[in-house]
Amino acid sequence: MTRPVWREASPGPTGEWPEERAPAYAAPDGAFVLWNDLREGVSVLVRGPVGPERAAVVAPWTRTAPGPHPLATTDAIDGYGVFTFPYGPVSMGVPDAGRFDLRTYGERILEATPVGGFKSRRVLSSIVGQRPEDAALRIERIAGPFSAAHATAFLAAVESARGQPVPISELRVRAVAQELQRLHNHARQIARVAEAASQNVGHAQMAALAEEMLRLSARLFGHRGLFGALLPGGPPRRLDPADRKEAGERLRRFARAFDELWTLFLGSRTFLDRIQTTGTVRRADAVRYGAVGPTLRAAGVPWDDRLRVPTPPYDDLFLSLPQETEGDGLARLLVRAGEVHSSLLLLEQLFDRWDQWRAEEVAPAPAVADGRGLARTEAPSGDLVYDVRLDGGRLGAVGLRSPSHANWPLLALGLHNAVFTDFHFAFETFGFSFAETDG
Amino acid sequence: MEPLGIILSSAVVGLFLAAALAAVDRRLAYGTATAAAGLFALAAAGTLATGTVHGLVWSGPLGDPEGLALDGLSAVFALGASLVWIATSIYSVGYDRGPSGLLAGCFALTLAAIALLVASTSFLLFVIGWEVMTLASYGMILQAHGRADRIYHAAFVFLAFGEGSTLLVIVAVAALRVGTGTFLFAALPAGSALALVAFLAGLVGFGLKMGVAPFHMSEWLPIAHSSAPSNASAVLSATLTLAGVYGLFRLLSLLPGPPVWWGGLVLGIGAVSALLGALFATVSEHAKGLPAYSTIENNGLILVALGVALVARADGLVYLAGFALFAALYQALVHAIAKTGLFLTAGIVERGAGSLDLNAVAGGGKGGEASGGTGGILAALSLAAAPPLAGFVSEWMILEALFQSYRFAPTAAQFVGLLAGAAVALAAGLIVVAMVKFVGFGFLWRPGSARRGSGDARLGLPVAGLGGLLLALGIGAPWLLRALAPGVSVFLGRPIAAPIGAVAGLGIPMGWTILSGSPLFGVLSPTVVPIAMALGASVAVGYWALGRRGASRRVEPWMAGSPPARPGETYTSFGFSTGIRLMMGSTLRTREVRARTGAVVEAQVATPVAYNVDLEVLDVFKVVYDTLVDVVAATALALQRGLMPGRLGRYIAYLLIVTLFVVVAVAAAS
Repeated sequence: MTRPVWREASPGPTGEWPEERAPAYAAPDGAFVLWNDLREGVSVLVRGPVGPERAAVVAPWTRTAPGPHPLATTDAIDGYGVFTFPYGPVSMGVPDAGRFDLRTYGERILEATPVGGFKSRRVLSSIVGQRPEDAALRIERIAGPFSAAHATAFLAAVESARGQPVPISELRVRAVAQELQRLHNHARQIARVAEAASQNVGHAQMAALAEEMLRLSARLFGHRGLFGALLPGGPPRRLDPADRKEAGERLRRFARAFDELWTLFLGSRTFLDRIQTTGTVRRADAVRYGAVGPTLRAAGVPWDDRLRVPTPPYDDLFLSLPQETEGDGLARLLVRAGEVHSSLLLLEQLFDRWDQWRAEEVAPAPAVADGRGLARTEAPSGDLVYDVRLDGGRLGAVGLRSPSHANWPLLALGLHNAVFTDFHFAFETFGFSFAETDG
Repeated sequence: MEPLGIILSSAVVGLFLAAALAAVDRRLAYGTATAAAGLFALAAAGTLATGTVHGLVWSGPLGDPEGLALDGLSAVFALGASLVWIATSIYSVGYDRGPSGLLAGCFALTLAAIALLVASTSFLLFVIGWEVMTLASYGMILQAHGRADRIYHAAFVFLAFGEGSTLLVIVAVAALRVGTGTFLFAALPAGSALALVAFLAGLVGFGLKMGVAPFHMSEWLPIAHSSAPSNASAVLSATLTLAGVYGLFRLLSLLPGPPVWWGGLVLGIGAVSALLGALFATVSEHAKGLPAYSTIENNGLILVALGVALVARADGLVYLAGFALFAALYQALVHAIAKTGLFLTAGIVERGAGSLDLNAVAGGGKGGEASGGTGGILAALSLAAAPPLAGFVSEWMILEALFQSYRFAPTAAQFVGLLAGAAVALAAGLIVVAMVKFVGFGFLWRPGSARRGSGDARLGLPVAGLGGLLLALGIGAPWLLRALAPGVSVFLGRPIAAPIGAVAGLGIPMGWTILSGSPLFGVLSPTVVPIAMALGASVAVGYWALGRRGASRRVEPWMAGSPPARPGETYTSFGFSTGIRLMMGSTLRTREVRARTGAVVEAQVATPVAYNVDLEVLDVFKVVYDTLVDVVAATALALQRGLMPGRLGRYIAYLLIVTLFVVVAVAAAS
């Protein structure tokens, strides 16, 4: 039996929201609120309806209205010569369909409102009534680059709702898949920033490294995007000693190449100038709005689900926690580069101890309510929450709070007074996915 | 009296008559002014062709004969002014819909006064014309529409600078009178202290009217701040400043042999004015403020050319001095025409869109009036120095003159020339942005929602005429320069030929080419440029006509997948120039003022707040003048309270002291 990922607390006095408490999740039906106590480093669950003081934060997470809608609440700016510069939904370099309404008097961004909902596939509502195993096929396709994280969190939530024990070997496989995908994502985000800075050689080399992680995923799990890899009946996994040996060698080559390249990037003024002081997120805002992942850690908050609310096998592994304090684009990339190292170390530990683990079954996390499971995992862009309710073995309702949901307001704040040319640099360091929030 | 003299005299008398006729009928006044301006143009052209023309002569009150005449120098300015007046007067017939004939009367009186001062043969008549011009223009500004306090403030600023200018002009004239013993145009060698006084007082006095830095408030504020009527703006900005240029040229032509630093000073003031004028024009959002600032830039360019000429003359570089003077006179002429076209276009824009704010206008001014739009574009392109228009030739000549500052003997003069060259080049670049903004947001670009105003051919045709004139003067620049030769000759006091010639091997016909230096420096044939442009364009036109005709397809502009732009989602005129505001922030003192306008509920975490954001620029000189006005007003009040408190004893004491002083002074003198 693993320990619960939260501590229960009774609702405190409403009104003032305490400092050092970051909102993490609010159930769509108002059944409970989850927040992170940053002083004690624990997650706290409060049952009962969401008070009005939380409504503004919760609003974008629970919005299900079809069609374009703002993804963050932003200030209304008016003034002489001020106008809206609509950018998107087809925007250069942004892989998904999403628009940014930039309020400006020219040159400077006074307020940026991300607008999503252009390509909503209504995944969450379409899986209601399905068997969880079938639904997982759709869940992992919500956002391709984060498929392993979505599959892991969803499956864990289902197992928690069912009270179903899981073999430790299966949890290890999920961890391997997640860390591989993290390596791919971090390399890809750095490559994108290099592309925006017109550093063509650096971009090509970093993109090749990201590609190498996709190929390694295909080699080990039978699919570049890890689709189906973590589900029952997925493609055969190739994790025999010979495979793990080859993977270890490829990862060591990746590490050497990444280190060399990253050192070169850090020596390039043209690269650093574009991301230093760009898209700065202040620590207070990061806490207040519930930022997650590298965005949060770059702003000086040492929170990582793998450390603070660890599930097996992370509770048994050594994990370093890269952290910065500046909160700008450079800080986020430094955190990502540090996490490349910690992920490589995690994979090495996993492969080294592969045969030392006893074949045992791990009890799932306790259900949050009868037939209702809540699971969190640290996706490449940050904390990911799935809230699954089962009705007679089939899905009753599914709640999702993705890293993109949580970080949109921070992008809007970070773009205050940025110049237009900063836009891509700020955007790419966060690691957003419109698909995640469109659902 | 010779026939041209009769024409000249009747032109000046006719303009005064037009002012009187305004009391009867507005249209009659404008019609008479048009005819008289035509006669004035005829007299000026005749003067340039045949030599000095004498009109009426009478014996003046102070012993000197007074009269009307045009020589080579004044004829150049008379020609430029009269061409502009013809177009403006015709335009005014359709434009002026005011309740009374006051605007028409002040308008015609301003024209008459300028004609009088340009055609005067003595400084006495010149000063009279100068003062009448100032007062009549003051009357025109008071006819503006808008908030009364703004109009009074603008008119006050105009009068304050105008009277300051008159005072200094009188000082300069007095110095000349003492030095030469006559009010007639007689030379005073530059070595004496009196000549220095005349130069400095004249430079500041005429500079005030030209609106050059740091007196640019006198130019833009009355026009922009009060939204003076458009025909008045054209006269104020194009010909009133032209009168200042004429006065400065006349004065300097009478002070031969100036030291090098005079030229350097003129050059420096010109360069700073050009840069400041261009900079503020670029960030101006006012359809009349922008052209007014552009006038400051152009007058700065005239001063730059004049400064080069003065330094070159002091250095014995006769060809360069002559070339720079040709550049200055040509620039004065074409700027007056182009600027008038721009102001008249602004009037059409205002009619069509009901606003002079370029952000609000957004293309509403085109008004279906193709002729006015075409003329406005030609005028703006000329001011932006686009070939083959006249402004392109004048800017080329001024830059060529500056490039030759390496020929100056004193190192300091070379250095000033170098800095001025950089400033002028920067100004030339900035003014392109300003003109694109004026044309683009004024009447070319039209978002789907903007309404079109109704056209009026009486407004459009004069503007189109001015545009055509600019094209003709650009292509025919070599011939126009020949016509300007008498003016340059008068200034330099010796016959000077136009800088026209031929370069072996280019195959351009003799006399089509302007040569900027001797020995050979730069070459331009304004006549061949449009031929080359036409040849190049004919390839594209021929391709279109022969090959792909009818194969085009009209589509909605691609908005990155968003629906077509809604109101408030298109670039504003302000946004267009914000880059300049931020880049030149230290000069413009740019600052953002943010005021919270919406309520905030503190309990909520992510509550939207409404802000009003203004990006302000500041002209530091305006602060200086505003402070000056406050200080003067406060001092006057203090003096009034201290010296005139209504106590008899103090007044008697004052009388006694003055009497004593006079007695002592008389005793000491005798």
